[in-house]
Amino acid sequence: MIERLLAIWQADTAFPSGGFAFSNGLEGLAALSGPMGEGELEGVAAAALRHRWASADRVALVRAYGAEDDLDAVEAVDREVEATTLAEPFRTGSRRNGAGLVAAHARIGTPGAEDLLARIRQGRALGHLPVVQGVVWRGAGLDLPGAVLASGYVALTGFATAAVRLGLVGAVTAQAMLRRLLPVLAALADTPVPARIGSFSPRLDIAALRHARGEVRLFSN
Amino acid sequence: MLERPQGQKSGRLASAARIGIGGPVGSGKTALIERLIPELQARDVDFAVVTNDLVTREDAERLRRSGLIDPERVSAVEAGACPHTVIREDPTLNMAAGDDLEVRFPGLELVIFESGGDNLASTFSLDLVDWWMFVIDVAGGDDIPRKKGPGVLKCDLLIVNKVDLAPHVGVDLPGMLEEAQRARGERPVVAINARSGEGVDTVADMICRAVLFRP
Repeated sequence: MIERLLAIWQADTAFPSGGFAFSNGLEGLAALSGPMGEGELEGVAAAALRHRWASADRVALVRAYGAEDDLDAVEAVDREVEATTLAEPFRTGSRRNGAGLVAAHARIGTPGAEDLLARIRQGRALGHLPVVQGVVWRGAGLDLPGAVLASGYVALTGFATAAVRLGLVGAVTAQAMLRRLLPVLAALADTPVPARIGSFSPRLDIAALRHARGEVRLFSN
Repeated sequence: MLERPQGQKSGRLASAARIGIGGPVGSGKTALIERLIPELQARDVDFAVVTNDLVTREDAERLRRSGLIDPERVSAVEAGACPHTVIREDPTLNMAAGDDLEVRFPGLELVIFESGGDNLASTFSLDLVDWWMFVIDVAGGDDIPRKKGPGVLKCDLLIVNKVDLAPHVGVDLPGMLEEAQRARGERPVVAINARSGEGVDTVADMICRAVLFRP
């Protein structure tokens, strides 16, 4: 039972990790596409789950989790995330969000967090979010299925809360969308983990790249 | 006043003292920092600044271009439309920005976090800062202290800025300061004019005493 509670603890948006500051392309997409309805938003979130979270973030998390105490192996996963993330705002955002998560866990005293933070500070590890999640969530006692679900849930709720703050949908509507996407997330979490990290989200990539050049923005990416 | 010596903060990896500057939009937070920079430099304080702009990097760029401070010593953290959250409920991005500055500038003694413009309910998490001040201004109205917002009541130092404007906006400045002091009890209130620099040396002295343990 404790594993489930630990997964809820880390999936909870009240856990400080900096995630609230990232729209992961949504703010740029809203500016690019004009008014975005509930259906379109749901499609964007589902596509991001399928073509980015399941095929890239989840893979990195599983491999970082499986590296156990081998931080050299963790660094290799980190470098692969860097190399396979096309849009610079996503690379930067992932590193900054990872820095926020590891900062919180290092202060809490989660096993492994301070060692990973030291490697990031030395410039040896990059500290991408899914890699940090894999290391610190293992250290915090989450089991792997719980860590995978927490990661997917964090990605999904990130879209939903960003959409509310951008004024695209209301808070209740966003939760209805979230509910409809939970089975999608659950199904994706059960698919075999690909051998290599890969993502394909060209609209969000382009939107994030344009957003990064904008003067006025609420979110970091 | 802090009782913990630097470097022995419970659950903290940071060694530099960290302070916050919060307050409503337009109250003069960035102007105060611009005036504090030479005051802190004159006191040989090794410091850096992290700004939290709401929708732009305006404050960070203003400080970087000011010529007052090495632009590398100014970091910007976007607030994700939540200026409260980034300093209180989830200050981890600011913590990480402070950590990064400490790695890049060994020997750093002080990191100043400037909140994005907010309202009277804004307060800093003590996970992020050791001590914080809240800036209100005379032109915002002399009823602000009476409203007893958490920012006004809970900060370590309340600053009333733009005192020169009092006669022009119909504010009874002594009455406003008296009311602020009454609301805060023993906690300090300082009146300043960030434009002219009046009172800023007092603020710098208070920072040095409170978190750098200098006389």
